[in-house]
Amino acid sequence: MPYFGSEETVKELKRALANPHVQADRLRYKNYITKVIRYMTQGLDVSALFMDMVKASATVDIVQKKLVYLYMCTYASDKPDLALLAINTLRKDCADPNPMVRGLALRNMCNFRMPGMPEYIEQPIVAGLRDKASYVRRVAVLGCAKLHNLQPYTDMDGSIVNELYALLRDPDPVVVVNCLRALEEILKDEGGVVINKPIAHHLLNRMKDLDSWAQSEVLTFLLRYRPRSDDELFDILSLLDAFLQSAHAHVSVSTLRLFLHLAAAHPAVQADALLHTSAPLLATCGSASRELRFAGLCHVQQVMRSQPGLFGTHYKRFFCGYSEPSYIKFRKMEILVELVNDENVALVLEELRSYCTDVSPELAQAAIAAIGRIARTYSEKCLDILTGLLALKQDHITSAVIQTFRDLVWFCPQSTAAVCQTVEACVDNPQDSEGKQALLWLLGEHGEQISSAPYVVEGYIDGLKTELSSAVKMELLSASVKMFLCRPAETQDMLGRLLHYCIEEESNMCVRDRALLYYRLLQRGVEETRKAVTGPKSDPSMSVLTGRQEEPISLWASAFNTLGPLSGRDLCLQTVIISASAQPSSSAEEELLPGSKDVTLSCPNDTEEEISLSLGPPLSHETFEKMWLDLEILHRQTLGFPRPKAAADTLQAALQLVKIQTLAFTPGDTVPWKAYLYTRGTGTLILAELLQEDPEAPGTEGSLVVSVKQQPANQHTIRGFVAIIKSVFQTLNFDRL
Amino acid sequence: MIGGLFIYNHKGEVLISRVYRDDIGRNAVDAFRVNVIHARQQVRSPVTNIARTSFFHVKRSNIWLAAVTKQNVNAAMVFEFLYKMCDVMTAYFGKISEENIKNNFVLIYELLDEILDFGYPQNSETGALKTFITQQGIKSQTKEEQSQITSQVTGQIGWRREGIKYRRNELFLDVLESVNLLMSPQGQVLSAHVSGRVVMKSYLSGMPECKFGMNDKIVIDKQGKGGTTDDTAKSELGGSGKQSIAIDDCTFHQCVRLSKFDSERSISFIPPDGEYELMRYRTTKDIILPFRVIPLVREVGRTKLEVKVVIKSNFKPSLLAQKIEVRIPTPLNTSGVQVICMKGKAKYKASENAIVWKIKRMAGMKESQISAEIELLPTNDKKKWARPPISMNFEVPFAPSGLKVRYLKVFEPKLNYSDHDVIKWVRYIGRSGIYETRC
Repeated sequence: MPYFGSEETVKELKRALANPHVQADRLRYKNYITKVIRYMTQGLDVSALFMDMVKASATVDIVQKKLVYLYMCTYASDKPDLALLAINTLRKDCADPNPMVRGLALRNMCNFRMPGMPEYIEQPIVAGLRDKASYVRRVAVLGCAKLHNLQPYTDMDGSIVNELYALLRDPDPVVVVNCLRALEEILKDEGGVVINKPIAHHLLNRMKDLDSWAQSEVLTFLLRYRPRSDDELFDILSLLDAFLQSAHAHVSVSTLRLFLHLAAAHPAVQADALLHTSAPLLATCGSASRELRFAGLCHVQQVMRSQPGLFGTHYKRFFCGYSEPSYIKFRKMEILVELVNDENVALVLEELRSYCTDVSPELAQAAIAAIGRIARTYSEKCLDILTGLLALKQDHITSAVIQTFRDLVWFCPQSTAAVCQTVEACVDNPQDSEGKQALLWLLGEHGEQISSAPYVVEGYIDGLKTELSSAVKMELLSASVKMFLCRPAETQDMLGRLLHYCIEEESNMCVRDRALLYYRLLQRGVEETRKAVTGPKSDPSMSVLTGRQEEPISLWASAFNTLGPLSGRDLCLQTVIISASAQPSSSAEEELLPGSKDVTLSCPNDTEEEISLSLGPPLSHETFEKMWLDLEILHRQTLGFPRPKAAADTLQAALQLVKIQTLAFTPGDTVPWKAYLYTRGTGTLILAELLQEDPEAPGTEGSLVVSVKQQPANQHTIRGFVAIIKSVFQTLNFDRL
Repeated sequence: MIGGLFIYNHKGEVLISRVYRDDIGRNAVDAFRVNVIHARQQVRSPVTNIARTSFFHVKRSNIWLAAVTKQNVNAAMVFEFLYKMCDVMTAYFGKISEENIKNNFVLIYELLDEILDFGYPQNSETGALKTFITQQGIKSQTKEEQSQITSQVTGQIGWRREGIKYRRNELFLDVLESVNLLMSPQGQVLSAHVSGRVVMKSYLSGMPECKFGMNDKIVIDKQGKGGTTDDTAKSELGGSGKQSIAIDDCTFHQCVRLSKFDSERSISFIPPDGEYELMRYRTTKDIILPFRVIPLVREVGRTKLEVKVVIKSNFKPSLLAQKIEVRIPTPLNTSGVQVICMKGKAKYKASENAIVWKIKRMAGMKESQISAEIELLPTNDKKKWARPPISMNFEVPFAPSGLKVRYLKVFEPKLNYSDHDVIKWVRYIGRSGIYETRC
């Protein structure tokens, strides 16, 4: 905060600090020092006072010492030569009979960030490690880490590392944990501190002496340890059992993570641990502090990925309080959607309905979307609620409801008739562009069932000049053309007007190109247009996609109890699923777009009609590996395009949507990139490997190669499978264009 | 680990800034101010990521506390740490407010120095910290105190020092509960839970061994089975009054031996000196809801609203509830309010958009009512009034969960005082948490 008159202030302080009268009066002197620190906190540059402050460090008053040290730590890197003057005082303090003074001096000496420091502090640190007061040892141990931090590229003295390992047996618990922390930093390049059997057991036995922060950290360190035998494993688990229900949320969650990690091969133990932790987790979700509540909710969401039923009976805990911040409400709604079952659906919907009228439009829209998600399973009740909401005649609610309808019709074709009826009866149209797009899509797709559809669309065409959003215009074009195909008499005239306007007057190239495209298409005849434009509608006989699959615990356990669950990544996944699945409806259009003509794409749903894939019971990694080694490659094909840049989650979600399970893939951008998939179709099990070689390597051009193995063999299914894989990747690649 | 800690006032001025690790630059302080405190929209998440740095923030009244880190840390731990920080500061100088922080700013820097080193939590127990940092600051230490520090940090028990002596051995137990309720307009309980704390103030000499007993259902049932009491008699007992309660989950202070609790469900410990929280628990079953709120809202035309709210107290007539406050929200376009209430005082507070009805005292099994006529300004706004819930505050002298302290025994084998010589006090206070009824 640079502010006016700062130079004056510094000068004034300098004068005062140098004044012998002030120096003689201890209280006044200290007051001035406090003032300096205050200015420093506010961001004023007071480094010019360094000399005077160093002088002030020679005092018996510990508080004053602390203040001066704080000052010196901040500015030492700016004034290294002056800071050296203070070193002597500090070194003298390191030999003070009072352990507090020794500790204080050592800590601050290590905090100075400037070159040339290591040679001064190494000796006091080594002495500190052997100090009889544990307070000093704590400081000295962390001092080693700071020393390493000062000279990260020089190797640490081996004797110090050994001494630190020896200090793991110190009677003081904080020293023990500090040793772990220091070793972790010093040995970072070698993979951190080594946890072998004696150390692991020693730490486990000391667990109950540690404070909660240390417990949590030790539990994280123990993740590195692999027990030799099952007996040892169960001994460890029973030792840690008490910590699952610790008073501190972070300890119980850390313990759970360790449990999940150690018992990876014992699903029953994992399930048991989750059951035990559910109570503390729920307690965190109801904790008095909203931040902890939020953290708790995020972790509940993670657990629910594998055990959706665990919190089923506690759904009422996730009802939102009126005064809760919106970030908590969003999470709670997401959880509620997952917890819906036959018994509680009425109550949950009633609850969600009350959120729809929330003051915050964002929250209201999220609540409506949540009802839409539930509608995929319980369509009738939800449709009643959504229809009721339209009667409120509020713009943001109407818009959200219409968008929800659009998604619902795609996922749940059975509800089409009811939705169309409601849309027909709805008088006022949404005002925002998202809502408009949704309405237009509904009108275009199901125009034949909504008698007033052409008139609504005409209203939009008439108001075209004032429309700002090009996305709405694009949607309007598609909707009009689709409508023309099913109700030509009413639509012909306005479609003409629309195309004329878009081609002649529109300034947005995208909209213009789309209009031209439709125009040329229509020139080739109505039947041609129909073939190209009316993509397959979702199949009413298709089973409803309800919620997510139960994921294996290993998927999320590694990121459990870190920052990961708190970031909004899960939310992204949700939206990606929707967009990836909504893609096929428009992919027929994409095919005709100029520039992508060379890609010969067979409509994905055609192949899906020929073969039907299913996930069936999950395959374990071991079975997959065994089968993969046993079977011959039946088919190998170069797909002719690189792998999509989409994130791994997206890819996995998209493949799961077409019922192909991803077993494993190489993370990130490593080369070569590989992925292993499996699925079942018409009585056979298909295993596949996707491989992308280094794009720079000659011959491959960085294209994906798919190798398929099958049991029993069936060439027809393989062709279908490859076609599906192709279409999925093309869709994903388009997504990125 | 934590890279730095900042404290701001509501305007975003930095009150305290302490950087522990050099990966946190000096601009981090400003980044948080600009992106979170001065941001226009609401806080989206208590963790904000700015340029690969995570800011964990907590707001206490008008004060922002932010912990900064570049590592992937355990989020729950950082939040709990920030709360612990607040507790420590409160223990030193009372309420966390801008004025208090400015006045105690030297002290806070001292605390930050002891609590964290290089970003790692070191010592956060107020009791132990008080031996390092004395309130006045200026105080040179005597030999005795020095040795105390050493024994403090090397001793077997981190939370209690040796050689404590009192002339009068005394202990106070407070059962503090907050009862939370969400009720539908029809009087159906949507969710209710009690979160309670047992706070103990101990002034006991030496290293006393304590054993605490309460009417926990599991223990009572176990004892019932152990003895040969008649089953029918027991069920009669259970029917007549609440003999035992089911605790959903409970957590204890570090001092309680968890292994003993798990095996025989007995709570035994060596208490810290002074005030501390012995246990924390939560119940959801058979909660005594001290008050029932019955709302009646009628819209008379477009410009008038009639509200009638009845509150009924539901506990023993001999007990008195205190500090009762009912808050009835009113629409934003309220132009005038007429209130009639039988008891207490009611006032329309335009700035808070609510009618606040206060009653000093109310006995059990009584009923009181308020009726109000709210006049509204006609608006073009089609938006329906969202009708926030009616909320309530109160304090009652019993535990709504039904928890009863059965005994607290003290044994000190080395010093010669017995359980009978200890003066023990027990007090129950039930307060309202979020106690809301929808209307």
